[in-house]
Amino acid sequence: MLYVSQLEGQRVWDSWGNIIGRCKDVLTNYVEKPFPHLLALVLKDGDREDRFIPAHQITSLFPSIILNVPKEQIKPYQPTGQELWLADQMLDHQIVDIEGRRVVRVNDVQLAHVQEKYRLTGVDVSGRGLLRRLGVEPIADKFGKFINHPLSKTVIPWQDIAYLQEGDPIQLGISREKISKLPPVDIATILNGLNRNTGQAILAEMDNETLADTLEESPSSTQIAILSHLDSERAADILEEMDPDEAADLLADLPDETTYKLLELMEDEEAEEMRSLLDFPDNSAGGIMTTEFAWIPPDLTSREALSFLRSSKDALEDEQMYYIYVIDDDWKLHGVITLRDLVMAAPDSKLDEILDPDPISVSPLTSQEDVAYLVAKYDLLAVPVIDTDRDEMLGVVTVDDAVDAVLPTAWKKRLPRFF
Amino acid sequence: MPKKVMKSVFSRLWIYLAVLGPGLITASADNDAPGIATYSMAGSTYGYSFLWLLLVITIGEVVVQSTAARMGAVTGKGTADLIRERFGVKITFFAMLCLLAANLGTTIAQFAGIAAGAELLGINRFIAVPIAAALISFTVLQGSYRYVEKMLLILCLSALSYVISAFVINPPWGEILQNTFTPTFQSDPNYILAVLATIGTTITPWGIFYMQASVVDKGVDAKDFHLTRIDVVSGAVWGNVISAFIVITTAATLFIYGITVDSAEEAAQALLPIAGEGAKYLFSAGLLGASLLAASVLPLSTTYAVCEAFGWERGLNQRRSDAPIFFGLYAVMIAISVIVVLIPGIPLFSIMVLSQSLNAILLPVLLVLVIKLANDKRLMGEWVNGKLQNIFTIALTGLISLVTVALLFFSV
Repeated sequence: MLYVSQLEGQRVWDSWGNIIGRCKDVLTNYVEKPFPHLLALVLKDGDREDRFIPAHQITSLFPSIILNVPKEQIKPYQPTGQELWLADQMLDHQIVDIEGRRVVRVNDVQLAHVQEKYRLTGVDVSGRGLLRRLGVEPIADKFGKFINHPLSKTVIPWQDIAYLQEGDPIQLGISREKISKLPPVDIATILNGLNRNTGQAILAEMDNETLADTLEESPSSTQIAILSHLDSERAADILEEMDPDEAADLLADLPDETTYKLLELMEDEEAEEMRSLLDFPDNSAGGIMTTEFAWIPPDLTSREALSFLRSSKDALEDEQMYYIYVIDDDWKLHGVITLRDLVMAAPDSKLDEILDPDPISVSPLTSQEDVAYLVAKYDLLAVPVIDTDRDEMLGVVTVDDAVDAVLPTAWKKRLPRFF
Repeated sequence: MPKKVMKSVFSRLWIYLAVLGPGLITASADNDAPGIATYSMAGSTYGYSFLWLLLVITIGEVVVQSTAARMGAVTGKGTADLIRERFGVKITFFAMLCLLAANLGTTIAQFAGIAAGAELLGINRFIAVPIAAALISFTVLQGSYRYVEKMLLILCLSALSYVISAFVINPPWGEILQNTFTPTFQSDPNYILAVLATIGTTITPWGIFYMQASVVDKGVDAKDFHLTRIDVVSGAVWGNVISAFIVITTAATLFIYGITVDSAEEAAQALLPIAGEGAKYLFSAGLLGASLLAASVLPLSTTYAVCEAFGWERGLNQRRSDAPIFFGLYAVMIAISVIVVLIPGIPLFSIMVLSQSLNAILLPVLLVLVIKLANDKRLMGEWVNGKLQNIFTIALTGLISLVTVALLFFSV
């Protein structure tokens, strides 16, 4: 195996055995799959301008860099702007390890002679790479064997890497595709680990739905940082895609001016929902509830209820749908039925007989801690929120939002990235 | 439409408040335990003659901190990140070693401050220091640090008592003004160490990293940068005015009677004119507040920077087993600090002052890297350092190096 750090600064010999300079950088292309091939070496010779030696004029790279032509016959490679500069753009930079779902730093870049050509095969992110760069790999290797903990080799194969060069649309496109396929919570972690500009470049390439899911999984400081760098139209579109309770939380964290502006840009229906959620404090049932829940009118049979749900827009938007709420025209809650009971009931059975007519419920001003307590005590997956004055059901608090209050991770989520 | 106007005033204020902060925090940390110790020692030993240095340091701090902030705003990257990408592994390794040495020294000094503050209250340091270490680790690792920070900052306000104290004593203001604008120098190794400590406690390696990281974290970009500059300038002026008053008060109360401060008890006497019997409690509150605050931030920002530079998993939301170096380095720094402070008979006050001299001696290494980064067109674009900023930073680097050489020269 060959590493870029072993080529950097090496003497370059022509076919007559003359030293013609030192290797400054290694260029490969980056779109070729699975392993991009070597395009050229960048040669530095004192104060003279850099020279590009094309791959086909190189006989060997290791142990010495030797050309197959004399100095005079070098046909300089013409850079097209589509090259990857391994030393300048890869070494020491951040990349995303798609398999490991994390942001890592490139300690070294691995090359190998595969299919007639030198190719970029992987990226070394291990301590061994660091030690090699420090020039102490052999000593450390011996020491490792001596204490029976040989140094591990962690080279991530090139296919599993999303490389992020700011301002390079093709490269970013490839990386975005790889990253978008990860679960939103992993995308959030990766964005959090990336430096700001690169993170934003990735964001700009993502579709609204992925972005909305990612925002839901991000700590509030990241959410704000992300939103503040999108134009308002797009920010509003993304907020519409998000869970109303999460979107309302996010809006509450923004300056009032921005919140109003975004609400103006949102669809009327969605904006109205946001406004009603924003009226309640962050840490109350009203603040963490979602207004998207599945409901059915009273006096249906099981069969009717199921077909009602299939065509109901609210049911479609209910992401969990653990419970179905029976509600009349005045939004009064008549009872709750679990989805399981509904599905298992005989098609023509009256639902009035199997629903729970008096479920545990909370008022919009019940504290988040109390909601969490009720959820835990009664083993609930969601609690309806009811405005007792007007006897109207407003929304539901789902278990995940309720327990956020009592789990220590919820505190951590609110810490800035720096810590 | 008065209501609308109010709204926009408030949201404007919100934007300011969101951007303000890091400058103020780093400046408040100038008056942490080693800071108070250094200024008390300087004021009581050399009188008002240190005031000119504080003026120079204020300018230096503004230039260095705003350069760090600008690098954060333009690149969106941390200092360690930039150093690694621009200079490669070897230089990064050296820079991180310097940062680690400086910050470990300062962390030890914070725990020395905790020990000294506790002993003033009559609590044995063998009890106080381990408890403080456990409390700090617990709150920080739990992630509830943000909530404690405010309380500790309030404790730090006790440094204001020096300002009140100075006005109560009514020192010779004419002489003070004169000393502020007339540089003086002595070729005595102790004097030089004190000069270095005064520089090192104000312009710190960790301050640079912290400033840049906060700016990145707050998402300040180049066009909002003028707000950050206000933060940096007001923070530096505020911090150094307090420092100056510590020097003035100790000079006016102790120097004139020939009392040289080398313990917290003696340093506390500077507050006798306003607090009388309560002086030691007031002094202790300031010492404890500042030390606990800095002891919480410092090890964390150090381990964060080191892990950022080498690409190791980092952050409090990682599991321990996923980020062993991040948490390990943190634990080691706290453990070493506790052990050093508990060595029987170790002079707490000297630790505090000498750690700051060490800070200053290591600072040029980072300043050279910062100068190179801030002048890199590819990195900074139109935001590269101006002539004036370069002159000041290079002069500061030169000054510190010169003083360090002088120290070696006069010590032999």
